[in-house]
Amino acid sequence: MKVLLVEDNERVAGFVVKGLNEAGHSVDHAANGRDGLFLSASERYDVIVMDRMLPGNIDGLAIIETLRKTGNRTPILILSALADVDERIKGLRAGGDDYLTKPFAFGELLARLDALARRTEGGGGEQRSLQVGDLRMDLLSRRVTRGTRAIPLQPREFKLLEYLMRHENQVVTRTMLLEAVWDYNFDPQTNVVDVHISKLRQKIEGETETPLVRTVRNAGYMMCVHE
Amino acid sequence: MNRLLRSSAVTWAVGYVLVGIAALAAFAVSLWYAWTVTIGESRADLLRDDEQRMSEVFRREGAAGLADFIEARIAMRIPGERILLFTDASFQRLAGNVDAWPAGLGESTRPDAIEIRFDGHSIPVVLVHATLPGGYHLLVGRDNTRFLPLERRFSSSLAVAVLFLALFGVGGGILIRRELLAKVDNIRQTVAAIMQGNLSHRLPVRRSADELDTLSQTINGMLDHIEHLIRGISGVSNSIAHDLRTPLAELRSRLEMLSLTRPSPAETFAEVEGAVADVDRVIGVFNALLRLAEIDTGSRRSGFVRVDAAAVAAEMVEFYEPAAELKGIAVSCRSSGPTPVAGDPVLLAQALSNLIDNALKFGAPAGRINVTVGTRVDGTVEIVVADNGPGISAADRPNATERFFRGDASRGTPGVGLGLSIVDAVARLHGGSLELLDNEPGLRAVVLLPAAPALLAPDRDPTAANAGTAPASKTRSAA
Repeated sequence: MKVLLVEDNERVAGFVVKGLNEAGHSVDHAANGRDGLFLSASERYDVIVMDRMLPGNIDGLAIIETLRKTGNRTPILILSALADVDERIKGLRAGGDDYLTKPFAFGELLARLDALARRTEGGGGEQRSLQVGDLRMDLLSRRVTRGTRAIPLQPREFKLLEYLMRHENQVVTRTMLLEAVWDYNFDPQTNVVDVHISKLRQKIEGETETPLVRTVRNAGYMMCVHE
Repeated sequence: MNRLLRSSAVTWAVGYVLVGIAALAAFAVSLWYAWTVTIGESRADLLRDDEQRMSEVFRREGAAGLADFIEARIAMRIPGERILLFTDASFQRLAGNVDAWPAGLGESTRPDAIEIRFDGHSIPVVLVHATLPGGYHLLVGRDNTRFLPLERRFSSSLAVAVLFLALFGVGGGILIRRELLAKVDNIRQTVAAIMQGNLSHRLPVRRSADELDTLSQTINGMLDHIEHLIRGISGVSNSIAHDLRTPLAELRSRLEMLSLTRPSPAETFAEVEGAVADVDRVIGVFNALLRLAEIDTGSRRSGFVRVDAAAVAAEMVEFYEPAAELKGIAVSCRSSGPTPVAGDPVLLAQALSNLIDNALKFGAPAGRINVTVGTRVDGTVEIVVADNGPGISAADRPNATERFFRGDASRGTPGVGLGLSIVDAVARLHGGSLELLDNEPGLRAVVLLPAAPALLAPDRDPTAANAGTAPASKTRSAA
């Protein structure tokens, strides 16, 4: 995918550009608000990474507001050192689609960008069911089956599985799961999410069945059909 | 003197004195009016009656008869007696006790109040006069001097009253001022001492519960809060330095070893990963501190909504259940129906998460954790997280909510020692408190929250509280 990075800190920018390039994405980098606004308005990107505080008169939120006013709907991830809930809400009100606080793990950034970029691709039309390999989830009757085997799930497990299936072949991080499945945006110190995942795995991956949930080191989990 | 005039107590006293004098003056004026009108008029009526009677005598017995009548009356010498004069048409005296017809009498029948010469000196009198048939003139009057002492007494007592009022007013003002000034000075001195850095000073509070005592109590409350914050801050800078030094030292030696020994790439990467974990620990401390700072400013209070504490607790218990199960710990959640409180759902969830997390970490292996949510008789909502682990010793309990406090039990366990501080801060933000009690054995953490006021907006859009969620969070209602 094609990414625009608007970030003034050279080391952070260099790190993100390198990481994204290695993951196979092309990156344009703007080091100030003016260049950022110019590039984001003139080129087409799959996703934009926007630092909030930029040198010059134009800050990240101003760029986002300008883009949204002109009808540009490119998904934007806001990158900021401001971690307060209020700041988050401000950023999302301005038109951002996701908010990541510095310092961040690169895996987290990559997973979130992936999710944002695919959200626009896949959109349109209410899905009635999800399918990954022979795992099927009926969203209306809320029934989950693997092959012919019915899998009974708790409501929260259903939600967790639904999120994983909707993000098939994408890395989802623990924080993304916490936010999406439990609505918690703080970090529980113990590995609670991992335990939930392993419990879910026991239910959907029988001994003779192929595993569907893969643990991605330093990042999170990915649902995919192993070859 | 200047200071005396500037004092608000004196200003009030002077004001009250002026108002009092004005009231007294209004009273005196109305009394004076009643005096002159009613008493003066009845006196005039008496004079007119006299005059009528004498006119009657004149009509019956003629001028000579009236002259005799008048002379007889005068001869009786009644005290305060009338002034009588009977003259012919050319104002020549026929009878009476006045030498000459007084000048300056009006034409009307209204009584005239003038001064005439009588018995050799000038006295105030009230007169009525009439012209009788045949051109005779009759003058009937009364000596006014005997009312003079009364009037004088009236005005002097009025003056005394004004004087007393002024004296008491000013005296009272000075007394009130002295009392008030002493108290205000007391407050000022205490506050000045506090400004010098001695935070332990408190204002004296008496039992009278007057306005100044209420003010003193409020100020004392404020001082408690400030002292708590200042202590926290100074304690925190020490603790931060101390707590960050450990991971930073590890990080430093790790990196130094790497550059010294230059091991194989595989080993190098393992070390680098360890270094990242060290940094993550440092970041964790900072995040917790930032969250605490955010809570302590109280700015989150503006976003308070009606939250069901029981539901928050139930969700959190459900969230931790698998992790507890893995450790062989049984978690139960009991509540007596919905328990609404006014609060921040995210922070309440975090507080509960910290408490359950603590119980999981420090509770007994294969033990149990009981979470109960209930309402006390006075309406206070109480959230209890109790475990049956070693608990916190009675000596350590008061310090357990201090930032970076780590009891003996927590040595060697992961964590930064901010968990209970955050719970305490969240409880205080909500106007409640955190109590740590002995569960015999174990820790019994009780979060007390005031009941929600009846009128409060229902839960806000959950996605707004949890900004930054990925798209699937919109499906919350499906759960």
